[in-house]
Amino acid sequence: MSFILGVVLFVGVIGWLDAKLPWPIARAGRR
Amino acid sequence: MIAGHFGLAAAVKAKATDTPLWALMLASQWLDVVFVPLLVAGVERLEPVQGAKPGAYGGAIIHADYTHSLVGALVLSALFGALFLGRYGRRSAVVLGLVAFSHWLLDLPLHRADMPILPGGGGGLPKLGFGLWEVPAASAALELVVVVAGAVLYWRAASAVAGGDAAMKTRARICGAAVLAAGLLTLTLNLLGM
Repeated sequence: MSFILGVVLFVGVIGWLDAKLPWPIARAGRR
Repeated sequence: MIAGHFGLAAAVKAKATDTPLWALMLASQWLDVVFVPLLVAGVERLEPVQGAKPGAYGGAIIHADYTHSLVGALVLSALFGALFLGRYGRRSAVVLGLVAFSHWLLDLPLHRADMPILPGGGGGLPKLGFGLWEVPAASAALELVVVVAGAVLYWRAASAVAGGDAAMKTRARICGAAVLAAGLLTLTLNLLGM
């Protein structure tokens, strides 16, 4: 349960929240 | 270890700021993500140590002879990084591959000498693992340190990238608090055998 909950929280919920912050975004081909 | 892997990924995000957090988090658990279907299929398995309840924190010998073998982990990590090469470029792909392999490195001090070198455990080579799980308080403390350190580093980096924008600063605080809270929740549930 802790594994599944952790993946859902960190990859899904927090990953989604974090994507709304103005981080630079890596792109293939960019130097 | 579950929460500690997430903590390391959060710490890496503070430095590899252009690599998406969700991909770093997934990378940190990649070996276990592959392990789960193999566990269900009976290819890999958990053997509770004597006297331990099934699911108890650190209370199992983990026969993950493919996903958690040294060579298997290297191959799976390289494959994971390669999945992101076309989208995020070489640097992020390498970072994601290294974070995926960090799972094996962080598991090494905790496991009870159940991590083989070759997939399948063949070759008569010794299995690896320093057995810190035999002292649950010590392994839990190690995980707690990684979780808190990762959350603090991530929180600082998120606050810095938010700049002077009040709404972004609030969002960064929410993200930082969420990383810390989710890490502590995951660790607590794991310690409770859930």
